[in-house]
Amino acid sequence: MDFLSDTVVLSRMQFALTAIFHMLWPVLSTGMAIYLVVVEGLWLKTRNRDYYLHARFWAKLYVLNFGIGVASGLPMEFQFGTNWAPFSEAVGDFFGSILGFEGAMAFMLEAGFLGIMLFGWDRVPPLMHWLATIMVAFGANLSTFWILTANSWLQTPTGGEFIEGKFIVSDYFQAILNPFMLNSFLHMFFATLETSLFVIGGISAWYILNRRHPEFFGQSLKVVLAVALVVAPLQIFIGHLSAEQVYHYQPSKLAAMEAQWETIPAGSSPAWSLVALPNDREGQNKWEVKVPGMLSYLLELKPTLSEPVQGLNEWAPQDRPHMVGLIYYSFRIMSGIGIFLAGLMGFSVWRWLRGKLTAEAIVDQKLMLWGWLLAAPMGYVAVECGWIVRCVGRQPWTVYGELRTADMATPLPAPEVLTSLLGFAAMYSMLFVGALYFGSRIIRKGPNLELPLPQSVSKDTLEVEPMQHQPDQRPVETQQ
Amino acid sequence: MEALEQFLPQVWFVILGLFLFLYVTLDGFDLGVGILSLTASNEESRSILMTSLGNIWDANETWLVLVGGTLFGAFPLAYATVLHALYIPVSVMVGGLILRAVAFEFRENSVRSKQLWNFAFGAGSFMAALGQGFAVGTVFEGIAVDTAGHFVGGVWDWLSWKSLLVALTLIQGYVLIGSTYLVMKTTGTLQQTHYKTAKLAAVTTFLGAVFITVSTPVFYEQMRDRMFDPPLFYFFAAIPLLGSLFVALLLRSLGKEQERMPFVWTVLIFLLSFLGLGLIIFPYIIPPQITIYQAAASPSALVFMIIFIGFLIPIMLFYNIYNYVVFRGKVTQAHESD
Repeated sequence: MDFLSDTVVLSRMQFALTAIFHMLWPVLSTGMAIYLVVVEGLWLKTRNRDYYLHARFWAKLYVLNFGIGVASGLPMEFQFGTNWAPFSEAVGDFFGSILGFEGAMAFMLEAGFLGIMLFGWDRVPPLMHWLATIMVAFGANLSTFWILTANSWLQTPTGGEFIEGKFIVSDYFQAILNPFMLNSFLHMFFATLETSLFVIGGISAWYILNRRHPEFFGQSLKVVLAVALVVAPLQIFIGHLSAEQVYHYQPSKLAAMEAQWETIPAGSSPAWSLVALPNDREGQNKWEVKVPGMLSYLLELKPTLSEPVQGLNEWAPQDRPHMVGLIYYSFRIMSGIGIFLAGLMGFSVWRWLRGKLTAEAIVDQKLMLWGWLLAAPMGYVAVECGWIVRCVGRQPWTVYGELRTADMATPLPAPEVLTSLLGFAAMYSMLFVGALYFGSRIIRKGPNLELPLPQSVSKDTLEVEPMQHQPDQRPVETQQ
Repeated sequence: MEALEQFLPQVWFVILGLFLFLYVTLDGFDLGVGILSLTASNEESRSILMTSLGNIWDANETWLVLVGGTLFGAFPLAYATVLHALYIPVSVMVGGLILRAVAFEFRENSVRSKQLWNFAFGAGSFMAALGQGFAVGTVFEGIAVDTAGHFVGGVWDWLSWKSLLVALTLIQGYVLIGSTYLVMKTTGTLQQTHYKTAKLAAVTTFLGAVFITVSTPVFYEQMRDRMFDPPLFYFFAAIPLLGSLFVALLLRSLGKEQERMPFVWTVLIFLLSFLGLGLIIFPYIIPPQITIYQAAASPSALVFMIIFIGFLIPIMLFYNIYNYVVFRGKVTQAHESD
């Protein structure tokens, strides 16, 4: 139990713990915000009351997630200073400014309009309300943009240089537009959207399987399906581009993702490892199952490699990522889920085109509905695995190739860090259990289909013009 | 260029001050209401208390995120050193903020465990205020650093009777502003109760402030020199005098049962105390050694941040005010959970 007295290890554990837990909530609130914009917009356009009820129902799950997301995110911001003070000092010029932008541009926008979105239905006109929803969604996604900008810069630092251990920026736009930025942002943007879509779809499927309001939830499933049709395949494509970037810019991470110990020369057509048992200490895989000739297709879409794939043994043990097994399997799980979700989407669209998603027929689509139910948590797993690949794979560097994680931790006494780590672990477990418990309660309770329309709207519909008045044609006795 | 190197950190010191003041005032009444909820007599009044915060607590707390972000970006050294020195108070604050935020969401959806989340809401608010109070007290008192500005003290340095005094005064201040906010937002018995808590908190906050004002020149040599330096002396003499006047006006308006003025006076008292603290600390950002000029990011970073954050300040203020305008008026019943 040496690690209990190692501040660096404890600080890393604390960061990993807070990041892994925190990630669970913004994933949903960021993607679901876009869904809420879509259904509210559909309501304003079609005036179909059901869309309004969708907006109200899903917003309940949204706000639960949002609140916990905010709460669990606070430690992230302060941790850079408390546990990684040398890091903060070294890269504050750029990294700190970006976190400042996130707060001022994104987070404040989201928080400033959230109150109106949640409680303002009867206080502002419908279009203003929709604008508030749009601002919330825009703010959330702008957060993704800035966070991914900051993180991408850690992976591919550009726009300045390290002088005496401090990063001095010479060109901010170059630093923001670092090589990883665009694909990383898009990959995460689609990840939040896809995860949210399959959560909404999965919950809808659960209602339909239980024959609760199948028509109502068939509707949300179709909205989800229409968006997923674009998102799911696109995500696989962006994912591929991201992996290709890792291949070019972070060879030690790529080697860990593929558990490749020995260098493969350019011009060969190597096998791709499907399952393996990597062994860090011996610098090789204990056993593995390989698909012949596959790797060059995956990396370059060509039968032979144009660049060599460097093996982990090229680097001294202290210069390459550890926990190769974790990185290797996280990558495989993430990719597998991406392909499964796209497949499920394809299958569902096929059923839709065959006319099987009507209110009457949809309840019999057991296989498809179970697929969706199973898919609901998968996005989360994929996102977590993706972040593990991204950040564990970057080790031993905090800023790739420049600053070592081991030098960046605050020299705190280990017992203090251990105490805060245990405190956060307890608190986050409570958040996790609470979120599942109260989230499932909202779901079990279901939507309130009796909910009246907002006051301003119901007034409009009541004010019937005298010209349009239709005299009651019924016999006098049956008139009330 | 040299003028710029002086000017930019000063601009960011003022912006940081603005964000911090907005945070302390806005989340101040938020946390104050939270602490007061511990004393609420029944579930209905507690619901009204929490409803009065429902649409704004999150936006208010965001100013803290902004304070953190701008400190990190504009004064990285201060961010690193201060948070290192304040490891425990900051962890307590963050823990408290987590508790109260989730208490909001969980309470709303709970049936049997309402009491538990009520308590978590109040206790979380108290923890957050306590952590902040110790943080302010410690920064005020001074942080032990080497010549490079790195923290060289121990993890318990923040704990002293002087920082405890600041912490208790800040908690009282939050209870005061929370009470005057509730006077403005509620009616009937609930309003009457908070006229009382406001009076009590006004007195205790005032006593704390007097004690801090008097003890500062007595115990801190460096600050004594600054405070009795001629041009600043007039400010340091004027602030407590004006502050006492505002407290008197606050008590009078509470006595006359005015609805909005108590909150206004309290905000002015906050502003005045804040200016006093700012003037004493300036130009240091890690008292008693590191100035804002030493801790500042590079001039290009500061300019870049002004371009990206500076123009957003009026916009942020605008939509935050709009949010308050939309939800103006009394809270007479809890949000209906549909």
